[in-house]
Amino acid sequence: MSAVIEARGLGKTFRTGRRTVHAVQDVSLAVSAGEALGIVGESGCGKTTTARMLLRLEEPTAGQVIFEGEDITHRRAAALLPFRARAQLVFQNPFDALNPRFTIRRTLAEPLRNFGIPEAEHAARIDAVMGRVRLTPASAWLDRFPHELSGGQLQRVVLARALIPGPRLIVADEPVSMLDVSVRAGILNLLRAARDELGLAAIYISHDLALIRYVCERTVVMYLGRIVEEGPTAELISSPRHPYTRALVAAVPVPRVDQDRAALPIRGSLSDTPQGGTGCAFRDRCPHAMPRCEAEAPALREAGPARRVACHLEEGAPS
Amino acid sequence: MRAARAAWRFLRSEPFAFVGAAIYALIVVTAIFADKLAPHDPREILRVGRRVARYLPISPEHWLGTTSSGRDVLSQLIWGTRSALQVGLTAAIVVVAIGTLMGLLAGYLGGWVDKLITRLADIVLSMPFLPFMLVLAALTTPGTTVVVACVALLLWPNTARVIRSQVLSLRERAWVEAARVTGCSNTRIMFVHILPQVLPLAALYGSVAIGWAILAEASASFLGFGDPDTISWGVMLQEAYANQALGRGAWNWFTPPGLAIVSMVLAGFMISRGSEKLLFPKLADK
Amino acid sequence: MSLLSVENLQVHYRTGAGPVRAVDGATFSVAAGSILGLVGESGCGKSTLGRAIMGVLPDAGRIAGGSVVFEGRDLVALTEAQRREIRWRRLSFIPQTAMNALDPVQRLRAQMLEVLMERGGLARAAANDRAAELFRMVGLDPVRLADYPHQFSGGMRQRASIALALALNPALVIADEPVTALDVIVQRQVLDVMRDLQSRLGLAMILVTHDMAVVAYACDRVAVMYAGIVVESGPVREVLERPLHPYTMGLTHAFPDVHGETGELVPIEGSPPNLLHPPTGCRFAARCPFAQTRCHEQAPPAVTEGEHMVACWRADEASALRTAAASPATWAAVVPA
Repeated sequence: MSAVIEARGLGKTFRTGRRTVHAVQDVSLAVSAGEALGIVGESGCGKTTTARMLLRLEEPTAGQVIFEGEDITHRRAAALLPFRARAQLVFQNPFDALNPRFTIRRTLAEPLRNFGIPEAEHAARIDAVMGRVRLTPASAWLDRFPHELSGGQLQRVVLARALIPGPRLIVADEPVSMLDVSVRAGILNLLRAARDELGLAAIYISHDLALIRYVCERTVVMYLGRIVEEGPTAELISSPRHPYTRALVAAVPVPRVDQDRAALPIRGSLSDTPQGGTGCAFRDRCPHAMPRCEAEAPALREAGPARRVACHLEEGAPS
Repeated sequence: MRAARAAWRFLRSEPFAFVGAAIYALIVVTAIFADKLAPHDPREILRVGRRVARYLPISPEHWLGTTSSGRDVLSQLIWGTRSALQVGLTAAIVVVAIGTLMGLLAGYLGGWVDKLITRLADIVLSMPFLPFMLVLAALTTPGTTVVVACVALLLWPNTARVIRSQVLSLRERAWVEAARVTGCSNTRIMFVHILPQVLPLAALYGSVAIGWAILAEASASFLGFGDPDTISWGVMLQEAYANQALGRGAWNWFTPPGLAIVSMVLAGFMISRGSEKLLFPKLADK
Repeated sequence: MSLLSVENLQVHYRTGAGPVRAVDGATFSVAAGSILGLVGESGCGKSTLGRAIMGVLPDAGRIAGGSVVFEGRDLVALTEAQRREIRWRRLSFIPQTAMNALDPVQRLRAQMLEVLMERGGLARAAANDRAAELFRMVGLDPVRLADYPHQFSGGMRQRASIALALALNPALVIADEPVTALDVIVQRQVLDVMRDLQSRLGLAMILVTHDMAVVAYACDRVAVMYAGIVVESGPVREVLERPLHPYTMGLTHAFPDVHGETGELVPIEGSPPNLLHPPTGCRFAARCPFAQTRCHEQAPPAVTEGEHMVACWRADEASALRTAAASPATWAAVVPA
């Protein structure tokens, strides 16, 4: 199946004064219709910047973004309109994602108007999407303002706004991290259902592997702007190959009393890691670092079916 | 309706803003009903018998006495509210319009637009008000238009600055980005999404501009650059000054327009002072 | 005897519309050297409870009833001066955002010395040694005492604020969502620091959190709060494996487990009640799939069986309810008003 969205060697470099920061380097990935890809990593790993480039909210400084076969990497803002209708974003903080002065109805009508949907269709489409996010009866919600809704209800509206133009791609950036535990499952289930029923390509950005496993079949792990590992989510969690992924999996809190409380297989902290240099970016924190890691950055290589790893330890290892 | 109730609640909790708004309200009502409230035609030369009723003191007949040319001071004061409001409101609207537009463009678009507008604002702010107005008045026909134009040209940077900083922070809000994702053009984001959020702040700066404009008009008139045919507080002061009312001790002639101007300027200040808590809640915590 | 025992504590906030009962009957205790997890959703009163125990409520808040007995003294009855004497020395606080505990314009050494010398009465040399020791204790290099807070990463800042809280050897530390803002790896490392301090110093802690997994990892006991009330408390294993309150049962199915089964997650529909006018009956009744008429009419009393406390009318049927609660259909049937 051909990919809905594809990134080829994507990169973003910020210049602040004299310093150059490589926020994202050489990220390649693809997501097909009906598939969900997770991008996982800690804050500052470049996952959000990657997502913003895929949605062209940020212009890449290297590489290409291909959406439904068309290169949109450097397309001008005005010409992005058809793309905008087909690639939507679910925001992290529902309390900030809706215009406080717009009613729910106006919030949902705004994309319809912008994307040139005839006004006669608005009411029906708004009703349908409110049904999809289970805010029914729609009439009870549409004339309210955001401050009258709870976090979970707001996030449903955010999802409805993303779905209403009929997108082919949905990007969700930490879609439940601001919500109470008891309502998180509701949002995740809605996202899953929308993806399955509408055959959307989905990308989830999160620091939470447990959440990613619930919604994504495939996952890429990012560390300091690069993909360090990619694979089917279940496999990635049961047998992580990159030392960083191993630490990440071990660190995920589990709601059980009996669990491994051994020290994490990682040293130092993110802020200690020197940027730049030629070697592997993880070398200073890696329990298995060798002289070679200092000299040469490992490339992201095939490591078995549907798996890629960027680590010298993996080279020559049986896959 | 919701907004009206919120405004009322706010006014009740902020005595400064309440007093300011009350002064404005009093002046608006006076201006609307000026023809009914004024006991005389402000231009009518009153006579006692066959003599012009010059310099009459305060009396039940003339609550604030009369001028050197026998006109009723109270009536002039009341009619003066009209020109004050006219000058004040026009100037305020123009200031708010230019200032908001500039602030919006600079804050939202950033880059060279921002640099250009900020630089321009700095230049304008460094220009002295009165000399600028006098030069402009001397080059054109004196009158209220010049006053309004001056206030507008010199006062917009204040509004633009605060609007710009407000827009800078609004621009980072997720719902602004959401507007972009859902297909809004920059123009639509600026004018449909962001503008309504900054209008209250703009209106506040407008209320300050009203006071400034009235003060400017009074200064211009006092210095003889006003329109002598209008009835305004500034013209009243100028007349009083020209006829040496001060030397004659005719305080009932020059004090009322002076107080009226001061209270108008003060009202604008009080409203803005009272609204600080509303606009900058962090300040109130301290 | 418990180090801290909170009995039927009530905290009200003054608002224009009347008092909000943010905490409306909280009962639990913390044994010396143990970590209690205080878990609940936003607005359930867990942070307010922590602040009330510390005696640092915002102006609009006041303790409206109940007692907080700490080391044999009722903190509610003490004067502010007496409380200040206890604060930091015996009882200290770690806020969610470390930046709230740290002064951004002072080097960490100055901040540590201020506490150690002014409140702790140490001489400069002794205070310097103690500051270095505290930094080592939380896994920071004492060299970094010369730095400003902004030169630290989030995890290091949180460690520094823990060190600051521990400066005067308190018996109990209340930590309000101390790891919520941190990445998983850092979160785990900070939790490890806390567990280490507990075992080495015999420190007792109240860990306020919304995350059941954090409780499972680090706590000995847990108190579950809902709408201002402690609805269930007990040893962590008991509460997690044999929950007695339907809310706790619901929570255990509401979030994913990275290694567990990938069954359907089940949300608890609806939202907590408005604490301005709380319902007369059980506060969870509107969202509870097992609610009966009685639950809507009368608030259930707290009953204790062994160390396990619960406030639910149907607690004696808990094992049957647990089986039913495992099925998504049970929760889907609830249609909150």
